[in-house]
Amino acid sequence: MSSIPLEGAVSAAWPEAHTPEAAEALPLEFADQEQSIAITGFWMFLVTDLLIFASLFAAYAVYRPMIASGPSAQQLFHLGPTLLETLLLLTSSFTVGLVVWSMRRGHRRAMVGWMVITLLLGAGFVATELHEFFGDVALGASWHTSAFLSAFFLLVGTHGLHVTFGILWALALLIQVARKGINSITARKIYTFSLYWHFLDIIWVFILSIVYLGGKIG
Amino acid sequence: MTPMPHFAVYLIHTLFPPDVRRPTEIGADVMMGVVAIWIFVHMTRHHRWGWLWHEWFTTVDHKKIGVMYLVAALIMLFRGGIDALMMRTNLALPLHPVISAEEYNEVFTTHGVIMIFFMAMPFIFALFNAVIPLMIGARDVAFPRLNAVSFWLFAFGAALFNVAFVVGGSPNAGWTAYPPLTELAYNPGPGLNYYLMALIISGIGTTITGLNFLVTVLRLRAPGMTLMRMPMFVWSALNTSALILFAFPPLTVALLMTLLDRTAGTHFFTMGGGGMPMMYVNLFWLFGHPEVYIVVLPAFGVFSEVFATFSRKRLFGYDSMVLSMTAIMVLAYGTWVHHFFTMGAGPAVNAFFGVSTMLIAIPTGVKIFNWIFTMWGGRVRFTVAMLYAMAFIPTFILGGATGILLATVPADYQLHNSYFLVAHFHTMLIGGTVFGLLAGMYYWWPKMFGYSLRESQGKLAFWLFASGFWVTFGPQYLLGFSGMTRRMDTYPLGLGWHSLNVVSTVGAFIMGAAFLILVYNVLWSMRHGVRDQTGDPWNGRTLEWSLPSPVPEYNFACLPTVGERDAWWGVKEAFRRETGADEDAAPTPQVRAEDIRGLHLPRNTAYPFFLGASFFVFGFGVVFTWWIIAAIGFAGIACTLVYAWFDHDEHLPMPADEVRHHEATLGRLLA
Amino acid sequence: MATVVEQQQEAVTAGRGPTAGSALGAERALLRFLEPHFAGEGFPWTQLWGYVGSLVLTFAAFGLVIHHLLTPTALLGLVLVLAAGQASLQLGVFMHLRESRGPAWQVLPLGLSFAIGVGMIVASLWIMAFKWGVS
Repeated sequence: MSSIPLEGAVSAAWPEAHTPEAAEALPLEFADQEQSIAITGFWMFLVTDLLIFASLFAAYAVYRPMIASGPSAQQLFHLGPTLLETLLLLTSSFTVGLVVWSMRRGHRRAMVGWMVITLLLGAGFVATELHEFFGDVALGASWHTSAFLSAFFLLVGTHGLHVTFGILWALALLIQVARKGINSITARKIYTFSLYWHFLDIIWVFILSIVYLGGKIG
Repeated sequence: MTPMPHFAVYLIHTLFPPDVRRPTEIGADVMMGVVAIWIFVHMTRHHRWGWLWHEWFTTVDHKKIGVMYLVAALIMLFRGGIDALMMRTNLALPLHPVISAEEYNEVFTTHGVIMIFFMAMPFIFALFNAVIPLMIGARDVAFPRLNAVSFWLFAFGAALFNVAFVVGGSPNAGWTAYPPLTELAYNPGPGLNYYLMALIISGIGTTITGLNFLVTVLRLRAPGMTLMRMPMFVWSALNTSALILFAFPPLTVALLMTLLDRTAGTHFFTMGGGGMPMMYVNLFWLFGHPEVYIVVLPAFGVFSEVFATFSRKRLFGYDSMVLSMTAIMVLAYGTWVHHFFTMGAGPAVNAFFGVSTMLIAIPTGVKIFNWIFTMWGGRVRFTVAMLYAMAFIPTFILGGATGILLATVPADYQLHNSYFLVAHFHTMLIGGTVFGLLAGMYYWWPKMFGYSLRESQGKLAFWLFASGFWVTFGPQYLLGFSGMTRRMDTYPLGLGWHSLNVVSTVGAFIMGAAFLILVYNVLWSMRHGVRDQTGDPWNGRTLEWSLPSPVPEYNFACLPTVGERDAWWGVKEAFRRETGADEDAAPTPQVRAEDIRGLHLPRNTAYPFFLGASFFVFGFGVVFTWWIIAAIGFAGIACTLVYAWFDHDEHLPMPADEVRHHEATLGRLLA
Repeated sequence: MATVVEQQQEAVTAGRGPTAGSALGAERALLRFLEPHFAGEGFPWTQLWGYVGSLVLTFAAFGLVIHHLLTPTALLGLVLVLAAGQASLQLGVFMHLRESRGPAWQVLPLGLSFAIGVGMIVASLWIMAFKWGVS
């Protein structure tokens, strides 16, 4: 049997690891090839999640006139709590940006501090939203009432569940950072958490514009 | 009565209502019980349980996951096929139906769901897992553990769906499950909940697979393998993965809304409260149409590889192939209304979507010509894989032409929901997808298992399958023209339908025979099949054929550098020029010992299995709205995820010497 | 940080054997478009300005709606434009959209999914309106 030597044996563990000199200049979470791939993967998760919300928005847009015997958007919504929710979430988006900024500069205590502030702001958001939901239900405007309210609660509730999940995730992250410090894996997890949180902020901006402000425009 | 017997009676009535106590169901139960006992005894006697657990159930190796997908797909093909034969038998005997109308509803529902979600999808993932990392020169997929999670979510989703006909009753609203038929008031049993939960659970798994392969192809290509040097099958995986990511969310949302309507009293698709049943149809086909391309693009990829290899020529028009495939991927999102033209959304809407549907014929036509021109002037070898590929071309042209007819809105108003439609989409799904998947199975079988499937038996199965296909679906086009609608369990004589239906049923049984021969072919070849010594039995063109068969756990001892398209063919060409060897010479590639370095393999883990099992428990609880069981399942999901999230010990180092030793035993170490 | 892309391009050009020139040219243009970019500075000015910008956009939207400064259609359009601006601000400033190792592959799928999502919403409204007559 004849044989050929196979040319170009390059890398030990993962492909693309043939650019070590470029990797040195990268932040921790990108310097590790495997973690940088995980970040790409998380972006792809956000891509599908974006379309989950797009489907919910499509349903909301179609169902908005279908108020049956229930209240309309204009009657139901109050812009006061909505403004509070928006400010809480926008500020938390800013503080989670500072989490990544201080992580990259190696300020671990500042990072944890900003993370805790982010968490509290997120919890404030969820509390305000729950208060609004319970108020609606107490007025008899639950998701049993009409297709419009079914779609409203599903869309806004899905976003609220995402935020709640984000808070639990951040708590777990704090535990992990306390135990293992900042290494390439925890750095990647904090980075993906920040992507997730900003993403929820973007979704909220569209909920605000289409659902609440759009509802008030009539 | 005391509360306890009360509860027992309630339990028996809920779990075993009359519609799971029919003779066919009990017969199937007995058969499954016998098979299960036989497997249990066999496994115990040969002490294989540990092997099953350690080698397969906890594996994260993409090659083994591919094998598990393949086994699951073939089992599901069997079940879906039995459903089909039951329907065809009923339609051949309109005066003596063998199954009742209710049972017929369940059978066509499970046939459709199983064939699309639990046969075609896992079959595609079997091929992706088996060869995509090998084709791009990678050690594994991007996320090996998530890959196992995908498999177990699919497997337990499929299990949940199949449990329905033993416990609680099967879904009966068609594979599309349109409301208001799916609303609680009109369909109170647990059957539809099974459909919803099974599809949500396996849909999560499918989404993860799409994500995994998208990232794998984008990030794990060997050095030098640029996008425009990727094999066409890799391009099809890339496009399919993107389609999955974009298409599954609307389905998940539509299913979730139906579930909420049924269990939480919302008003999405109900008749009252402002609900709009047609919104479900809109959301479902936002997923459903891209799904058609999700199952057919991989087949296109397989055909591109098969035509090039067995014509011993470069694929004709590679650039236009890439372009047309990407165009199909994008256009797939602009055509979904053609599934419900008769809803009457208005002339403007219907005209727009009619034209956009016809547009798809352009890139598809480009591909057909490219495949034909690939064979032109080549040296064609008529292997089983090539036969399936060649049978695909006329079938797909027929399916495409009838598709254009259906896209013509006025014609669609006549043909909608007739047997013409049934014949059309079976032409696409069998003639396109199933032919492609079987071609891929025969083509890559030696790579997956280390031996070839016997060609003569495979050719017999092919001829029966392909001819049975035409005998089955040819008459159905005519039945559609004579007004027979889909999903009818029987019909009065005297409409001129009977003889055509009998012919169609004969064809279906021919296809069933072909399946049995295929299974025999596999079993025979397991014992007597020709071992693949070279790793390159077909004189292949792409990187996977440079590896030994079966492929070692680490795939590549050292990663290849890719300088051109058809990288392995290029290496062989250079070798032939140097040595003057003839075209059939099968050289063994060897690596230098000093080029081999230590590497890391993903470590086996049991959590994907437990995650799938927890989802199964959760789904079962939701199906019967037993919230305590659902809560237990949910707790299981949460615990497994937290455990996995805190576990960073994902890698098993493999020292260089071990790799060298392994390569040396394979005769692939350069002395 | 252009080095990563340069390396990729080296890998593109360093190949043996014949190559399809036009296709590789297109791919090189694509890689340039997806070239990664990392932000880094001593004080988080970018984040701070991003935060101020997001607040301004929010108050602008609220103010427009509360005072009903325009016709409903124009108002809704303007609010949506402000929302799109807010989204690009978050993506660009906070999410570091083009941070990546190697080409920033997330940009294309994200853009495509955004386009498909918008198409889905607009088309659903159009389809479910059941408008008879040619529009």
